[in-house]
Amino acid sequence: MIKITDLEKVYRTEEVETVALNKLSIEVKEGEFVAIMGPSGCGKSTLLNILGLLDDPDAGSFIFNKIEVANFNERKRADLRKHNIGFVFQSFNLIDELTVFENVELPLIYTGVKSADRKKRVEEVLDKVQIMHRRNHYPQQLSGGQQQRVAVARAVVNKPKLILADEPTGNLDSHNGNEVMELMTELNEQGTTIVMVTHSEHDARYSHRIIRMLDGQTVTENILV
Amino acid sequence: MFKTNLRFTWRNLLKNKTYSAINIIGLAVSLAACILLLLWVQDELSFDRFHSNSNNIYRLAASFKQEGKDNVWSGTPAPVATFARKELPEVANTCRVTDNWSISLLEYKGKKYFNNRCGLADATFFTMFNFPLVKGNARQPFTDDRSVILSETTAKKFFGEEDPIGKILNADDKNAYHVTGVMKDMPFNSSIRYDIIFDFTVLKRDYTGNDYWKSLDEDWGNYNYSTFLLLAPGADSKKVGQKLANIHRRNQDGEFTKNLTYIPLPLSKVHLYTPEGKDDGITIVKVFIIVAAIILLIACINYVNLVTARAIKRAKEISLRKIIGANKGGLFWQFLHEALMIFLIAMLVATALIYLVMPLYNEIAGKRIVFNPLQGNVLLVYGITLLATMLLAGIYPALSLSSFKPLEAMKGKLSGLGSKVAFRKVLVVVQFSFSIMLIVGTIIIGNQLKYIRQKNLGYNKENLLYFGMRNITEHYDAAKAELLKQPGVVAVTASGADIMNAWSSTGDADWDGKTAAQQTFVINQISAERNFLDVMNLQIVQGKGFSGTPADSTNYLLNETAIKVMSIKDPVGKRFTFHDKKGVIAGVVKDFHFQNLHRQIEPAIIYFSPWRWRMYVKTTAKDASKAVAAVEKIWKQYNPDYPLEYQFLDDAFDTNYRSDIRVGKLFNCFAIITILISCLGLFGLVTYTAETRIKEIGVRKVLGASVPGIVSMLSKDFLKLVGISIVIAFPVAWWALSKMLESYPYRTAISWWVFALAGFITLAIALVTISFQAIKAALANPVKSLRSE
Repeated sequence: MIKITDLEKVYRTEEVETVALNKLSIEVKEGEFVAIMGPSGCGKSTLLNILGLLDDPDAGSFIFNKIEVANFNERKRADLRKHNIGFVFQSFNLIDELTVFENVELPLIYTGVKSADRKKRVEEVLDKVQIMHRRNHYPQQLSGGQQQRVAVARAVVNKPKLILADEPTGNLDSHNGNEVMELMTELNEQGTTIVMVTHSEHDARYSHRIIRMLDGQTVTENILV
Repeated sequence: MFKTNLRFTWRNLLKNKTYSAINIIGLAVSLAACILLLLWVQDELSFDRFHSNSNNIYRLAASFKQEGKDNVWSGTPAPVATFARKELPEVANTCRVTDNWSISLLEYKGKKYFNNRCGLADATFFTMFNFPLVKGNARQPFTDDRSVILSETTAKKFFGEEDPIGKILNADDKNAYHVTGVMKDMPFNSSIRYDIIFDFTVLKRDYTGNDYWKSLDEDWGNYNYSTFLLLAPGADSKKVGQKLANIHRRNQDGEFTKNLTYIPLPLSKVHLYTPEGKDDGITIVKVFIIVAAIILLIACINYVNLVTARAIKRAKEISLRKIIGANKGGLFWQFLHEALMIFLIAMLVATALIYLVMPLYNEIAGKRIVFNPLQGNVLLVYGITLLATMLLAGIYPALSLSSFKPLEAMKGKLSGLGSKVAFRKVLVVVQFSFSIMLIVGTIIIGNQLKYIRQKNLGYNKENLLYFGMRNITEHYDAAKAELLKQPGVVAVTASGADIMNAWSSTGDADWDGKTAAQQTFVINQISAERNFLDVMNLQIVQGKGFSGTPADSTNYLLNETAIKVMSIKDPVGKRFTFHDKKGVIAGVVKDFHFQNLHRQIEPAIIYFSPWRWRMYVKTTAKDASKAVAAVEKIWKQYNPDYPLEYQFLDDAFDTNYRSDIRVGKLFNCFAIITILISCLGLFGLVTYTAETRIKEIGVRKVLGASVPGIVSMLSKDFLKLVGISIVIAFPVAWWALSKMLESYPYRTAISWWVFALAGFITLAIALVTISFQAIKAALANPVKSLRSE
């Protein structure tokens, strides 16, 4: 599903050049659950951003779903992104002014799903993450775990092929963290590919494969399953 | 999508109450101010445009070139119209209109009414103009020259529900007039406004055939009548004027008419331009349009500034929307919807505000604007302001905010407008430059009004009351003697002119050495009793003045300007012929202002004559009420049928400048609003600056920064901007105001302290605005701000 080869990304300011990705090559197969680990500054987040089509690489190849996307422009990337990729962030990133229902509904609005369909699909997915009873609450009225479940619901409501998770349990206590991880596993079992950046060995163990990174390169890969 | 956006905006507004309040109140107040100004402008511009022929109707002005100076009268002699219709094919129709001074009281079955606005007009009046008749025949409104047409209100006043047609009204000119028609009340935005229209041809009766002018149709010397021409489409109005002047010369040859031209002024310009078509009231209209535009611009700048400043806080939301699939177009619409919603709310609040202040506004502006938001013209004004605001304030932020790069924005780095602090600074400078200009303008306009009101007029206007004498004229000496016996009455005099508004002038003056160029010399004539100069405190600079002997009827007193224009050396004792009466110059009167101060002092003559109808009674401040009582008593004795209408001279003076004072007041109000709105914007901006720098402030405090240090750090940048605005605004304001003051022949000087004061006021207001937020930010607990990060 994802095949990146010799990917490079360099951040430049006037005086400093930071190599974030250094000829990185990774492959992720459809249906896989991959965890990416590594110390701060090793390039994990950059990688995730490029995988999420939020950022473009300086060099190298990125084949997504058999299409070369490394040179896609903003518009094409946005289009591909909204139909294929869901995001889960460490800090949930829910919109405070929208209710749980509306937050989850938003990606459907942007992909142009009809109102009646939207309602059905949002309810379905809220049911799945067991937050239906809070559908009319605002994010601030929920616990962290609940907020992250809403964020997961939002990520999957469009039935994306790929979910990118950036330390999804980073802001949660262990109980809530486990809940979210189980939810991710469940999604993976239903066929969604997941790539997750994490610091937590505990969380990483939910995945099939751990890629360890250092200084913009992969160091080791552990296959867990 | 639209619904979702609106819902989102609404919640956003509720959540950020300060931000919303600043934005909405600022916009609402400025929209209200802008709409009020534009309503005023619209009302001014609507004058006389309701006539379907208004594009082809012209009013003639008579112009005499006199040594490079134009002397323009808005009236013409009566025969001009007759000849125009007879001889010029391009003149489709004509109508003469004038005030009917000879009637001030009308009576029906014991009901007496004074001060109806009585006019005289040709029978073409109701077909050429759009003054519709409710009853009667517009083509033949008058059956004979004793016919009258009443306005609906006037008819109701006299006859109630009875049919007015055929009813007889008795007038104080001892004639009976019968009603032949009823017209709709003339609208307020009409330059021609009467309650009663008499037949113009009744004036023919004033000519006996034995005087110098044989008949109305041959009287080429009386410029008392407004002549309106309806020209055929495409006719060259300038040529028509020249042809009419030629016709006039053919009928009245001589030096006086040699330089005569007739200037047709389009009817639509009558209200706002001088008779010859120069800018008059239109200047104020233009100024007010500019002020309205400035207010709207400042409000829009506020909006743009606040929205883009706040974008920093909204970066997360915007980028999130992008990540989960929003494209640029979608975000653009979202911001536009937000702007639209805020503007519509502001519009509603503005409408409520306008409703509230409309009565007050009408009073200050001297208007009768009926505010109905659903009326076509009001909707037009609404539409224009809304469109302008959307263009200025809606599209720009929408474009710039929707082009965020999501990732950078997520991290708090902004590309696009949100990051361009310099751009916001420019906007603040623009805003404050305008505000400072308006402050300077307010002070100078105030100064000018004060200057006019405090100017020495050349006579004493204190403790003098005056009134038209009516029947007292014939018993003047007895009445005067009686009055002087009364307590409170210090002196009594009389004149044929209103000393503040003497408009009667003549060219009928001759002296030794009068040159050909001086043949068009025109002099203002003020007939007076002998003691007029004493009572009024007019100063004689040469000669002795009236002697108290019968010779006084040929003793002429001229003002300094007259002597200068006539270029007579050692004038006292020189021969002077006035209205064919040979006499001498018995004195030179120091120049005094016998017309309002918008006009330069012109030549004037004071001559002794029984032709007087205005009595001046001097009293003291203490006994003014006694003097009024005495005048009332005498009045009843001679004029039992009429109410006494007296005025104190200083009140009359204020009345003269009422429109100046009104404009001044309006300008003040709108300048204050502009400054307040600018400050509101500054306040919002400082609030957000403080918020975005909250972490920096926290760190600085932890490291030992003092509260005053932080306040000055936050304030300095903004005060610098205000400083730059001052530098920009001063020269512009100086230039614009010198230009504006040029229209006043007597004007105040623009002195440096005005600018100093304006600068000080602006800095002070800005400082108060800024420091309020800056101090709040500086006092905040750093632990809290650091933890929240």
